[in-house]
Amino acid sequence: MAEDLVLDTAIRDWVLIPLSVVMVLIGVLRYFVSKLMKGSSQIPDPKIVKEGQVIIRARNLRAGANYIPAKSFRARKAYYSNEENGLLHVPKGQAANPQAQMFSDPNMAMDMMKKNLSMIIPQTLTFAWVNFFFSGFVAAKIPFPLTQRFRAMLQNGIDLSTVDVSYVSSRSWYFLNLFGLRGLFSLILGEENATDDTQRMMQMSGFGMDPSKTLGAEKDGLDIVQHDWVLPKFEQRAESVLRKLVK
Amino acid sequence: MVTRTEEEEVNRLENQVENGGGGVWEYLCLVHKLKLRRSDMVLKHGLSILNDSKKRSALGPEEWTLYEQVAVAAMDCQSIDVAKDCIKVLQRKFPGSKRVDSLEPRVYRKPPLYLHKVGGWLRTHHHVQNPCPEPHLWDSHWICCCCRLEAMLLEARGLWSEAENAYSSLLEENPFDQVVHKRRVAMAKAQGNTSAAIDWLNKYLDIFMADHEAWRELAEIYVSLQMYKQAAFCYEELILSQPTVPLYHLAYADVLYTLGGLENLQTAKKYYASTIDLTGGKSTRALFGICLCTSAIGQLTKGRNKEDKESPELQSLSAMALEKDYKQRAPSRLSVLSSTLRSLKI
Repeated sequence: MAEDLVLDTAIRDWVLIPLSVVMVLIGVLRYFVSKLMKGSSQIPDPKIVKEGQVIIRARNLRAGANYIPAKSFRARKAYYSNEENGLLHVPKGQAANPQAQMFSDPNMAMDMMKKNLSMIIPQTLTFAWVNFFFSGFVAAKIPFPLTQRFRAMLQNGIDLSTVDVSYVSSRSWYFLNLFGLRGLFSLILGEENATDDTQRMMQMSGFGMDPSKTLGAEKDGLDIVQHDWVLPKFEQRAESVLRKLVK
Repeated sequence: MVTRTEEEEVNRLENQVENGGGGVWEYLCLVHKLKLRRSDMVLKHGLSILNDSKKRSALGPEEWTLYEQVAVAAMDCQSIDVAKDCIKVLQRKFPGSKRVDSLEPRVYRKPPLYLHKVGGWLRTHHHVQNPCPEPHLWDSHWICCCCRLEAMLLEARGLWSEAENAYSSLLEENPFDQVVHKRRVAMAKAQGNTSAAIDWLNKYLDIFMADHEAWRELAEIYVSLQMYKQAAFCYEELILSQPTVPLYHLAYADVLYTLGGLENLQTAKKYYASTIDLTGGKSTRALFGICLCTSAIGQLTKGRNKEDKESPELQSLSAMALEKDYKQRAPSRLSVLSSTLRSLKI
């Protein structure tokens, strides 16, 4: 396009800046709401706590196997991974289905719902608001040219292929804010408190990590460990240390 | 574990505080963070902050942490009245907590997760730790804290059975309170009831089996009861969790040497060797251990004349290292050492 589009300054004053401000305010509000809701959570499940500890201990065993005598290592290995009542052995069928677990534990489902609610409701509302009021026009221009690939990202809601890609539609501005304000939140609310949508979405998809799977993986890892006692080597090393010392 | 730099920092701050150079709060924070037991200092200086309303309010929400820290320190110093006052203040602030002895079943909210991560260890009955490392505004946490402090107050006053009941009911409500678990062990130990201490400790380790400090405590109790096989197991566990700490290698070697038998002695010698390697030959105990092990092995294998092929020089080298060390640091004892070494030679 040869001629530039001239953007009304009213767009800056009434669309660009308010949109960003509203996004920040909603982020802050959501942080406090989720904090309020988080206050009432339950005591951790004893089984999960214990499983976590078992895994740490098994991992220690795997890492430090060579530092204990072979006899002790074998005893421990049997203790962890024997097929009858080893700590890491998960009987088939007993492997809890996370989905089923979620339904059997109303608290857990409740927690999930709260988390989702605090995320989805404001998001839908703001999106509807932006869509209703500011859809279909250009809100800003970035000061450098971009390739056509960015059209989908920057000009969401404008179906014109002739507009230069460096113009940003208002709906795209909303999305840019939604995903780009993380750094700002971590400044305002403190490092760990940043309400991070992208991260949370990841968590959602990764939900239902099966503890029995980690146990099984740890067991497999333990099964393939070759015990090679390093202590005999230490005798020679101690000799060389002492030789240096005596000299 | 406290590193050397941290220790230096603490000592520097302690000096500064003792000489009235300020930095009291930093000192208290550091002691809190490192879970040190300097109760007299904490009591003295913490109280001076608490008695000064201007300084106290400057702390903000951390005021309550300080109250807790001072209460615990006061119990350690047997200043029961101070501890009582501190607990009273906390209870007034967080009124959800009732008296422990009239404890009714109550639904607790979740204790902060970090309680599981921290939780230092207590050596004796009034070696007190600080259960919450950060200031926190969670009322539920503080209600727990108040209850625990009350129970600890009972313990400090020597009302064992009442304290026992209080701890048990606390654990019923929240079976994952590591601090309470450990207090119970410490209390059993303070009463001289070692077998109960072992029981509680085993129960605790059944859940929190990755807590190496608990393993260490258990190992030491077993050693004191001459249950060396069990102690050896605990030390193996410790070596697994921290393979580079020479202390555990040394203690394990000691236990194995005490157990006796050719195989154990050979293993013990190897662990003494690893201690020497890890400490750079600075461990006198390990050097002596090598000499003793070699002579004991020699005595056991005398008939068969089986020489240790792997490290024939280890004993003579450690004897030389010992002599050198004695020459430098205790020349007057040199004759004793050489006669001892001579008697060990086969």
